[in-house]
Amino acid sequence: MFKKTRVRLIIIAIVIVLAGYSLYWSVSYSMMSEAEKEELKESGQLEKYHNRILHLGLDLQGGMHLVLQMDTPKLIQNLASNKDDQFYSAVETAQQQSRSNDTDFLQEFRNQVDQKNIKLARYMSDLGYKNEDILKQLDQEAKDARSRALAVIRNRVNQFGVSEPIIQKQGEDRIVVELAGIDDPQRARQLLQRTANLEFKLMKDPRVTQSLIESIDEYYKSGEVAVGDTTGQGVIDTSGQEDSTTVVKEAQDTTVSVEDILGTQTETEEDVGDSTVVADKEMLKEKPFSSLLRSGRNGIILVEKKNKYLVEKMLGNEKVQKLFPYNSDFYWSPDARTVTLQNGQTKQFFELYHLNKEADLKGTYITDAEASIGGGGTSAGQNIVNMTLNNRGARELARLTGANVGERLAIVLDNSVYMAPSIRTKITGGRPYIEGFENMQQAKDIAIVLRAGALPAPVNIINERTVGPTLGQASVDMGVRLMTISFVIVIIFMVIYYKKSGLIADLALILNLVIVMAVLAYFNATLTLPGVAGLILTVGIAVDNNVLIFERIREELDKGKTVKSAIDSGYSSAFTAIWDANFTTIITSFILMQFGTGPVKGFAVTLLIGVIASFFTAIFVTRTIYNFMTERKVKQTLSI
Amino acid sequence: MQFLKETHIKFTEHSKKAISVSLLIIFAGLISLIFVRGLNYSIDFTGGTLNHVKFEKEVEPNDIRRALEGTGIDKSVVQGTNHPQEYFIRLPRYSKEGGVADQVKEALTSLDPNYETLSTKGVGPQIGEELRRNATFAIIGALVVIGLYISFRFKFYFALGAVAALVHDVLFTLGIFSFAQMEISISTIAAFLTIVGYSLNDTIVLYDRIRENMQTKKRFDIRDLIDNSINQVLSRTIITSLTTLFVVVVLSFAFGEVKIFAYAMVIGVITGTFSSIYVAGPVLIAWQKKIKTSS
Repeated sequence: MFKKTRVRLIIIAIVIVLAGYSLYWSVSYSMMSEAEKEELKESGQLEKYHNRILHLGLDLQGGMHLVLQMDTPKLIQNLASNKDDQFYSAVETAQQQSRSNDTDFLQEFRNQVDQKNIKLARYMSDLGYKNEDILKQLDQEAKDARSRALAVIRNRVNQFGVSEPIIQKQGEDRIVVELAGIDDPQRARQLLQRTANLEFKLMKDPRVTQSLIESIDEYYKSGEVAVGDTTGQGVIDTSGQEDSTTVVKEAQDTTVSVEDILGTQTETEEDVGDSTVVADKEMLKEKPFSSLLRSGRNGIILVEKKNKYLVEKMLGNEKVQKLFPYNSDFYWSPDARTVTLQNGQTKQFFELYHLNKEADLKGTYITDAEASIGGGGTSAGQNIVNMTLNNRGARELARLTGANVGERLAIVLDNSVYMAPSIRTKITGGRPYIEGFENMQQAKDIAIVLRAGALPAPVNIINERTVGPTLGQASVDMGVRLMTISFVIVIIFMVIYYKKSGLIADLALILNLVIVMAVLAYFNATLTLPGVAGLILTVGIAVDNNVLIFERIREELDKGKTVKSAIDSGYSSAFTAIWDANFTTIITSFILMQFGTGPVKGFAVTLLIGVIASFFTAIFVTRTIYNFMTERKVKQTLSI
Repeated sequence: MQFLKETHIKFTEHSKKAISVSLLIIFAGLISLIFVRGLNYSIDFTGGTLNHVKFEKEVEPNDIRRALEGTGIDKSVVQGTNHPQEYFIRLPRYSKEGGVADQVKEALTSLDPNYETLSTKGVGPQIGEELRRNATFAIIGALVVIGLYISFRFKFYFALGAVAALVHDVLFTLGIFSFAQMEISISTIAAFLTIVGYSLNDTIVLYDRIRENMQTKKRFDIRDLIDNSINQVLSRTIITSLTTLFVVVVLSFAFGEVKIFAYAMVIGVITGTFSSIYVAGPVLIAWQKKIKTSS
């Protein structure tokens, strides 16, 4: 018996330690000052915290929640020409049907076409002749439009400057976007619904870039204006400096990105790189800016993900921007890519490009882009992307490529650089292709980007919620206050009604809340206002479990049983009721999670975790405390 | 401390009276629901825009309505809050391009240029339809799954009694919502399901006792058995109902959706406790009688 209690105590101790560790990050993060958080951000350590803390929902911290839906009917209308009343009415009826029956729009459109005996070739002759073929094409177009919309929106949201934006695909044709702390919803709306802006920009001469980097170094070294705060130097993470010389080679060695486009590779990789690399810690002080950069292949600069914020900040400095040559600016790749270093470590790098500020070629000239397998010449059998430009675009491309053979032309979508192929020859005729993709997926992704400018993917905002920062703070205050009040009332009541046993139940109750918070933090979950409501309800359920047990024990004591056997039979006979009652609550919360959206889900999740945790706290923990109390000496009375 | 020590209340004797009172309320509620007032659906279901705004100056609800009409928005509903200068403004329309938002901004700026938007919520029409469908599925799904679980853990006629009690609670609460024209929103649906769960807790605790008593006694009168069981769990029922009431009453001081949730829960706790005693128990007796007469 003694041994058993000891095992139980050890289990409880382990749970408490684990919960404590899980909560440690959230607690220490919430106690940091703004300055400390900024410092953490610059050193790239913030992410470590972000993955481990309990986040506050938009309703608690303020922000914007949007549900975007692909406008497939509009897409189909855009694809059609010679539209007449029959066509419009088919689209409209299909739209109504799909809305009221919750069915796929294209399926309903198909039905309409069949019913009304419409010849689709009249409107979309370029997609095929038979209705069946055209409908199949439309399916494909809708799918493509979805990926385009997702790519475009992800890119834009990432540029919003919001920390930890959430972009999720929901179902087939919806995208959920959450932007914390956005206080201008109108601007966000416009940004998300704007047509994508595709541009081509020439890359700056590596020598120009090199001298600019040196002068930026010079500027920061002279210490005229410190970035961020006085800890400037300390902010730079020196832990990676040890192997910085190897990093260069490693970054170059990995052929992660596309080899080349529109021509052969004209530059060797080492050209620019080495001089921007810092060999030792001394150099870090010498070159405060370039020590954050690594040279990649083809004059592309690599920046480790954790340093991106600091580099961005250094480049954003007004005085630094005055150093930029005429018509030049820096652009980032949309995502970080993983590079495996020689020591086996993998690190995330963003690419930084120094490009012309003005577009050299507009993306609207592109009428189509398609990934395929090369048919002949040097690209035979390779994954390539074929592009088609309109007449005006073809002329401009010929002029541009003719004057810049050997240069690199970056593909820029909404200010993010997706790739920068080099120009092999002058391209006339307006049908260039890009080669050198590692696999078909890469080629397809680039084709999506290239089409984003030509064929907009219409999206509608169908649901939005904005909570201003004032209300967010008020909600937090309210949540905390109500939570404390109801908690204190229950705790006091239990002690009055059940005396010492009530105290035991209270201990279990507190542990229950700690466990729920710890589990939420562990899963990096978001705590919303309904989540707080779920937490409060959990308090009620956990108390009920103990009430059931205590009432049974009282009954058994009234029957004249000894303390020990009253506890034993109290727990065992209350258990079936507790099990059945809690299990049905678990069923309800599962159903809520399944059918509910946003707020309801948050409520169900905390309730679910809370009920499961209460099995442990209200039964296991309280029982252990009783065992501990009764096993040493035979108790004659029980405070209950 | 102990509120109740050994009670012997004959619940089943006056169960008929109790049920007829609550049936009367449900009946009145249903009439209001179907013929008179219907339900007050929030924009979660109907689609539309809801703005929570705060003015610096003193502004009357009528001024807001008039100003909105001036910019071309009619059918707006302006509702006060606990704070004198804060209002909820509900509009029947939601435009994805933000046209409505511009009109609202124009109207409110004309009243008070320093007004602050605390929160906005916009719901397009198709989301509303979808939600209504999902909510109905959720409630019916929960009832079915719970019924199955109880038939499996107890006996079929127990499930019948439990579901009867739950239907009673949902209808009762819906009726009161219709009477008082309280808003049915996503949170209310969550509250309904919580009520279902809560009332079920009570019923299951009682059934667990009845099952236990049936097993220990070979011969019994079903009425006495049920009365005894109810009395045995009565102390627990009251303690738990009280603690839950404390919690939800405190919650009802909140604002926004949590408040509605709390109101629904207050009603739910009361009807849940009532139905587990007066509905879930007597259904077993009725069923038992049927078994006896048929055999």
